[in-house]
Amino acid sequence: MSSLHRIRIAEFKAVLAEPKINLAKLRELSFSGIPCEDGLRCLCWKILLNYLPVEQTFWSSLMKKQRDLYSQFLKEMIIQPGIAKANLGVSREDVTLEDHPLNPNPDSRWNTYFKDNEVLLQIDKDARRLYPDMVFFQRPTDYPCRLIMDPQNDFETLRKRVEQTTLKSQIVARNRMGVTNVSSPLKSAAPSSLTEYEPLPNGSEAHWEVVERILFIYAKLNPGIAYVQGMNEIVGPIYYTFATDPNCEWKEHAEADTFFCFTNLMAEIRDNFIKSLDDSQCGITCRMERVYSTLKEKDVELYLKLQEQNIRPQFFAFRWLMLLLSQEFVLPDVIRIWDSLFADENRFDFLLLVSCAMLILIRVQLLEGDFTLNMRLLQANQAPGAHYNIFIFHLPPSPTLCSLL
Amino acid sequence: MAKKTYDLLFKLLLIGDSGVGKTCVLFRFSDDAFNTTFISTIGIDFKIKTVELQGKKIKLQIWDTAGQERFHTITTSYYRGAMGIMLVYDITNAKSFENISKWLRNIDEHANEDVERMLLGNKCDMEDKRVVLKAKGEQIAREHGIRFFETSAKANVNIEKAFLTLAEDILRKTPVKEPNSENVDISSGGGVTGWKSKCC
Repeated sequence: MSSLHRIRIAEFKAVLAEPKINLAKLRELSFSGIPCEDGLRCLCWKILLNYLPVEQTFWSSLMKKQRDLYSQFLKEMIIQPGIAKANLGVSREDVTLEDHPLNPNPDSRWNTYFKDNEVLLQIDKDARRLYPDMVFFQRPTDYPCRLIMDPQNDFETLRKRVEQTTLKSQIVARNRMGVTNVSSPLKSAAPSSLTEYEPLPNGSEAHWEVVERILFIYAKLNPGIAYVQGMNEIVGPIYYTFATDPNCEWKEHAEADTFFCFTNLMAEIRDNFIKSLDDSQCGITCRMERVYSTLKEKDVELYLKLQEQNIRPQFFAFRWLMLLLSQEFVLPDVIRIWDSLFADENRFDFLLLVSCAMLILIRVQLLEGDFTLNMRLLQANQAPGAHYNIFIFHLPPSPTLCSLL
Repeated sequence: MAKKTYDLLFKLLLIGDSGVGKTCVLFRFSDDAFNTTFISTIGIDFKIKTVELQGKKIKLQIWDTAGQERFHTITTSYYRGAMGIMLVYDITNAKSFENISKWLRNIDEHANEDVERMLLGNKCDMEDKRVVLKAKGEQIAREHGIRFFETSAKANVNIEKAFLTLAEDILRKTPVKEPNSENVDISSGGGVTGWKSKCC
């Protein structure tokens, strides 16, 4: 560890040791990158995302309260409907009881259960394909959700719930003897897409399943927005950071803490996810236009080139802004960039400047390239962030926002 | 301006529910590879492949779209410029097939009237999980007068055939150009389309 880095860590620790944390000072320090040592980043993100207040005395009671609240959400939204379902498989219930799976009443709990499964199916597809290049999300967590995974209770996990939702068709063949033959695909030992990843033994769950649960609870609590593709890419880096926290007590509660930090972050960026706001003042179209209007101010030649080639910000800036650049870089770089984004007082103005800088940094190639080459450069999904390594590692130690441009 | 390396430019669009394998279909065609772990497409993605048909070099500019409802405002704006649209469903996912009529209506609303459409039932390697019969796909395609293939990006079934057939159908509708017209200089990247009339 360089002495400079040691000094930085000491600076962070000094700021974080204050009984009442100086938020302006913490923002300024965090903007140039937060050291990952001693769980500093986890703590700073929790403060910057307004999960923890600046007064330290409240931290432990607040976290306990929030973690309990999250357990409550799990009980209400995952376990209780799961019990009903699990019971059905175990013993035959009297379906004349007030609620049953064929109940046509829209308020029926079963009806809600089936509707939830549609959202869950979508979440499941995306949670499984979160950071496929990294082994982390496929690995079992050290802290599987005890409430759900306790083998004595036999609760239904979300993963199992999804597997049951996708019913398989059965081929019914009647032979000449009149015997009906139902060939169940369940019997054939064919590999399926759902088992692309090695299934984990009972009682353990992979990190992606934790992410899935966080997204499902969020969707249940926010039915107006529910789940929009890309939210998984917002949860991913936060969860990864918290679930690798050297502080074991905090690491154990990564799920609940991630949920609340994600919820707070979404409160600030949710407009980007809402289709009906696309063309409003606060929608993403307006923000994409701002990337181009800023570019026009800073580099009119490049701006005109992109205009002339009819390369619209929708082609690339949509993803950059909506996902806070999380698909453009490898995870460690994303996390480093998010230090600065979260430290930005006028969230997320800095993101617009970074997006603009990302264009200007490859201006030479863009000015020479044709439409196809430039689209490849800008979408760069084969090698995320490949052009920008220089940019990340050369962030000045204490930049003001505009010195980057 | 560099001399162009193709005779015609066709713009194609891939649409369909999320998770049906649009990105995998495209990746198989453009890179002849298969990846089971694609991240979800957010907004719109883009690939290029040049093919040769009837002695003409045809550059296919293929736009891959996000499937979820939320992205429709972003993606439907590309329908207008598309000359061919591939509508993909997943033979192991009944819902994705039920939504075909919704996607077809989208095309009617937002695309050019003479756009070439094609229906693909993807993941046909997963026979044990099939819930949409091939006959069902054929039927809906017949009703709408469009071509239909069952494909597998994983097993590389019918992928190239589907793209080439779509390109051929567009080519058939493209007015015949004068000989040597391939040397005509193009002024801007988005300027050349197969619809350009020979009489100008």
